[in-house]
Amino acid sequence: MVFFLFALFLLWRIDSPRVERYRTALVDRVVSSLDWALVPVTKLAGMVENFQSYSKIYEQNQELRRELRQMKAWKEAALQLEQKNAKLLDLNKVRLDPKLSYVTGVVLADSGSPFRQSVLLNVGARDGIVDGWATTDGLGLVGRIAGVGRNSSRVILLTDSNSRIPVTIQPSGQNAILTGDNTGAPPLEFLESPELVRPGDRVVSSGDGGVFPPDLLVGHVALGADQRLRVRLTADYGRLEFLRVLRRQVPKGVADTGRLLTRTGPIVPTQFIGSENDGGG
Amino acid sequence: MVDPITTRRLTYWAMFFAISALVIFLRILPLDITPGGWPGPDWTIAIAFAWVLRRPDYVPVVLFAAVVLLNDMIFLRAPGLWTGLSVIGFEFLRSRTQITREMPFVFEWAMVTAVLLAMIFANRLILAIFFVGQPSLRMDALLIVATSAAYPMIVIISALVLGMQKIVPGSVDHLGHPL
Repeated sequence: MVFFLFALFLLWRIDSPRVERYRTALVDRVVSSLDWALVPVTKLAGMVENFQSYSKIYEQNQELRRELRQMKAWKEAALQLEQKNAKLLDLNKVRLDPKLSYVTGVVLADSGSPFRQSVLLNVGARDGIVDGWATTDGLGLVGRIAGVGRNSSRVILLTDSNSRIPVTIQPSGQNAILTGDNTGAPPLEFLESPELVRPGDRVVSSGDGGVFPPDLLVGHVALGADQRLRVRLTADYGRLEFLRVLRRQVPKGVADTGRLLTRTGPIVPTQFIGSENDGGG
Repeated sequence: MVDPITTRRLTYWAMFFAISALVIFLRILPLDITPGGWPGPDWTIAIAFAWVLRRPDYVPVVLFAAVVLLNDMIFLRAPGLWTGLSVIGFEFLRSRTQITREMPFVFEWAMVTAVLLAMIFANRLILAIFFVGQPSLRMDALLIVATSAAYPMIVIISALVLGMQKIVPGSVDHLGHPL
């Protein structure tokens, strides 16, 4: 039996996509059979937590009043900007990309271990979800779909140690890779000139490599305790309940070992074949 | 009429499976998604080890392997590796039940912790050989500490609530059959 188990590990190492498909199917089966209980229990725990926070309600109230005062100033600024933006959009005759529609899913379960940062949504292949699509929580980017079952799909969060996404830092326009490392604020890597980046700069997805649609807000730059540039994520990771999966036609991903040789022989562009035939005849 | 010893054994098998399922259920509840949490104890492994040292017939190895493999799959670990190592550790402990019967609890505890340590070490070694990304050493260390700390608690609860005592030489079950 031990032999069989190690053989399974070897198989996983050799043919990862196949075993991962089985894993997705299994998780799909298990979690779908549990979802009648998962959602109510989560809600109940949330209620208990809310109840505990009532005890601190006075302090919270004071704090909220202070924030509200600041927000009023911001609201004024936002309204002015909105009007200006609407005017400019009208002048430019901008039409937003119609391909960017979304599917909303409920968070059913998380990865269950602190070694992995991912959540399971209750939408899957049935709803047309495809691997690689971006997910947001309405505020900012949360992660990408990795593993689609029939009724569920897994979202690898930006904080997972396997998450790498290309981002742009504004206003300096620097490109970098946001590298998850299992902490709340993932670091930025491969920055060309870090001196141009200041804490507080906006970080948006860059759309490089067709991984994500461009210009989705990710977060703001912050200087970590270890003097590395990190990103404070905009999405509210403490309260992920509903996630939007952005529909998008992504370029074909690498799903298996390279297809250099097909069953009918090497791939040859058609016009080559045509010219050869002409030359021969 | 099924004989009572078999019934009792089946009850414990079902109980082990139910507890493991409950542990999985509680752990995948999306309560705290923010990263940086502590790895909780690996309850399934700790319970199995505690039970196998008391009553080896209450946790069959096939059931144990199936449950840990399910854990592997759901918690996104490399499938099979941790299960294989757990089965080796489990069988190692099972073959030592004769010795642990006469040992004081502290030695048993130390032995279980040592087995866990060996399992984690082998796991890291094999993952490194196969170039699989692995969690930080600190997390694994915390996992061992937490599981080891949970072990006496599980032993006490098993003994008080489930009535699971160590078999001492010459003991009989409630019907008077020698064990």
